Amino acid sequence: MEAPAQTHIARRDPETVMRLSRLGSFHQCRLSFMRQLTRRLARENWSFSRPVFDIDENGVGRVVYTAQGPEHAYSLVAFAHDLPPEKRSDRVIADAWDATFALFDGVPTKEDVDRLSQNVPLQEAGRVSESELSLSRANRSVRLWKHVVDALASGQQPDLEQIYQVGYLMRTTAVYGSGKFGASDRENIADRPETQAPFQAEMLSVYLTRTFVRDLVQHMANIKGGAKTAELDSNIARWLGIGNSTGLGMAPFLVNHPVLLNNWIIAREEAIARVRSIEFASATEAQHFRDVFERSKLSVSWWTSEHPIQIEKLAKLREDLDKITAYLTQDDLTRDYPWNRMVEWSEDALSEEGQELVASQILEPYADLVDDLGIQMANKNMDVFYIDGSMSVDELRSTLKAQFGWALDKDWTVQEHCARAWYVSEEKLEPRLGERFEEPIEEYEQPLAPARDAARAYAALAGWDGDKRVAEFLLQHPEHRHTVRRVQIRPVAPYGEIQDNTISCDIMPIDMLRCKLSFFGATHFDPRSDRWVRICMYSGAPYPEELSIENADQWVYPELPA
Amino acid sequence: MSYSLNEIEVTAKKAARGAGYSWGMAEEAGKAARWLCIQGQEGCATLAGFLGQIDGQDLSDHTPLTLSVEWKAKSTLCPLTSGAALSDCAADLQSGEITLKEVIYPALLMPFAARAAVRLGRVVALECEGARAVTNGAELSLDGVFPTRTTQVVVSLQAEMPAALPRHTRGTPTPEDLATLSKFAHRTYAPATEESRLLGAGAGLSDND
Repeated sequence: MEAPAQTHIARRDPETVMRLSRLGSFHQCRLSFMRQLTRRLARENWSFSRPVFDIDENGVGRVVYTAQGPEHAYSLVAFAHDLPPEKRSDRVIADAWDATFALFDGVPTKEDVDRLSQNVPLQEAGRVSESELSLSRANRSVRLWKHVVDALASGQQPDLEQIYQVGYLMRTTAVYGSGKFGASDRENIADRPETQAPFQAEMLSVYLTRTFVRDLVQHMANIKGGAKTAELDSNIARWLGIGNSTGLGMAPFLVNHPVLLNNWIIAREEAIARVRSIEFASATEAQHFRDVFERSKLSVSWWTSEHPIQIEKLAKLREDLDKITAYLTQDDLTRDYPWNRMVEWSEDALSEEGQELVASQILEPYADLVDDLGIQMANKNMDVFYIDGSMSVDELRSTLKAQFGWALDKDWTVQEHCARAWYVSEEKLEPRLGERFEEPIEEYEQPLAPARDAARAYAALAGWDGDKRVAEFLLQHPEHRHTVRRVQIRPVAPYGEIQDNTISCDIMPIDMLRCKLSFFGATHFDPRSDRWVRICMYSGAPYPEELSIENADQWVYPELPA
Repeated sequence: MSYSLNEIEVTAKKAARGAGYSWGMAEEAGKAARWLCIQGQEGCATLAGFLGQIDGQDLSDHTPLTLSVEWKAKSTLCPLTSGAALSDCAADLQSGEITLKEVIYPALLMPFAARAAVRLGRVVALECEGARAVTNGAELSLDGVFPTRTTQVVVSLQAEMPAALPRHTRGTPTPEDLATLSKFAHRTYAPATEESRLLGAGAGLSDND
């Protein structure tokens, strides 16, 4: 990645950034995929329509939303279902949902929608085609759904406090893209400007899903309340995001896509380095930061969790917010590398939650310096999959030592260091994390422990002539092929490896989930155990018909109506 | 029914793992099947046929003994293992052709020849029993049919890329071939237990509220 000439403050060290506890403290920023999307939709003046709205009095039927861009149209095809409460589960083992969706590439015909109606409600058990870019489903937040329908039906507006606390009327429980269940491969859309950056089709699907949910709740209220029903106030509707419930399926993604992970992290780190290298900030820029910070306090005030670890992290974050507030009274943020000083101060004064909040928020005043990095977050460098077999055994050894020195010293036979094993269950074909010494899973272990495997490869190299080629080593030891590949990728992907033990007795998979979700642009991380988490997306965002250049970006920082 | 290339790759990768290959080799098998499907070749059928034949055998017997100008194994040569080695040692092709002896399912070498072509920025040809495959990495030109077993495959660099086959964005495996791959893939899944159902996916607070 090219650094502009003025960047003299280096990017943070991968050894600092790529620790699980820090990745598990990441916050969204200007580069988040949702914000990249809404900025583009506004900048390119996309138009939105709802060509089909066919929902009956029980809330069952189909709806189509179309987003038309400069060259391509995309349509959310939504199916609403009447789900008995006992069937409602966020878990991947569920087989029925309140609503199911596909993002269609273009504008679907009635035949397309009929075909999808036979498949999309079945989710994993159905098939979609090359015309579909994603497949997803959502369940209601039972409490808030009932409250909003009842309030509107009785002519009242819903209570904002309840909306702030829950954040959404429906949460998605899976959004499948990239060729899953028959859908189009990423390559088919990777060269379109609007889908070059990662997960843009999925983010569009979720954005349109939010509109569907608003329209559906109004429809259900209208049926219940008849003529006396109130129209949901747009200033209230804006605070309804879309929830998401994410489980372990997402965790291996970061390990399995080292170049992509690198590209996300390095883009943010480069942005941070660029901003830290600014010697003087204008009064406008300093004020922009202050405004964003004040608004983010409101967002944090709505962030709750029942999980002991997140409760503790939130308490620290709130202390951090107070410390930052005090810092801001003593610094006008305009001179002597203000952002760098603040980052350096945060490293001593704040928890990792607070440090990463500062690191994300200093980017806010600098669209011109930061936003061009967004497009570089995709993985276009497919060549790095190749192994260079001409590397010498000596070089492999020293590279392993340089990259995984911390792991080579660890005794990997000690139970606490390898207590867990990642595997895929026969039942749902989804990744799970098990107890290596208590369950019969080791022979099914997935290659998701790069540090342990690096130590194993290093041990296998003992006794090898240093002048031999890696290709010869791999002929004898094909079991180390995936490790050699990772080691050779690292020079082009310095932030591609989590520098922590992913199978230790105290691994928290939610740290991996949070890292990924923060790049999506998620807020209000609410772990429900050590391995699944609920989040909020698009809360505060303008709806398609309200979207403008002015409101397309900073919506993530709530501003109460005056 | 057509399948996405992602589905083809994932299924092929799991199948190779299920048949006893290491994870790193299984990744190669997944990419190989995907590449063949892109070229309109029967990637799944070829891999399914090969795995059916190699299953239960000692894979090290099918590994090249040395990486000189003529590659041989104790038994027949595995196209995945020797293909991966060919890609690893692509630079060796610059000093002359490489001959692979007694290869089964040599069509599986094509994706690895393509890899070598990309790495060298050259055109690579595979010749066996009158059939000829030429690739510049992204594309394939094919003359004749690659057999399921051959006495030798000669790998060489070429100056020219002949007219290439059209590229495809989907795979269309037969249900039988897909079933064979799925059978192998199934071996990578841990049988479900009540314990794993609860613990493995992380049951926690209520998910219906």
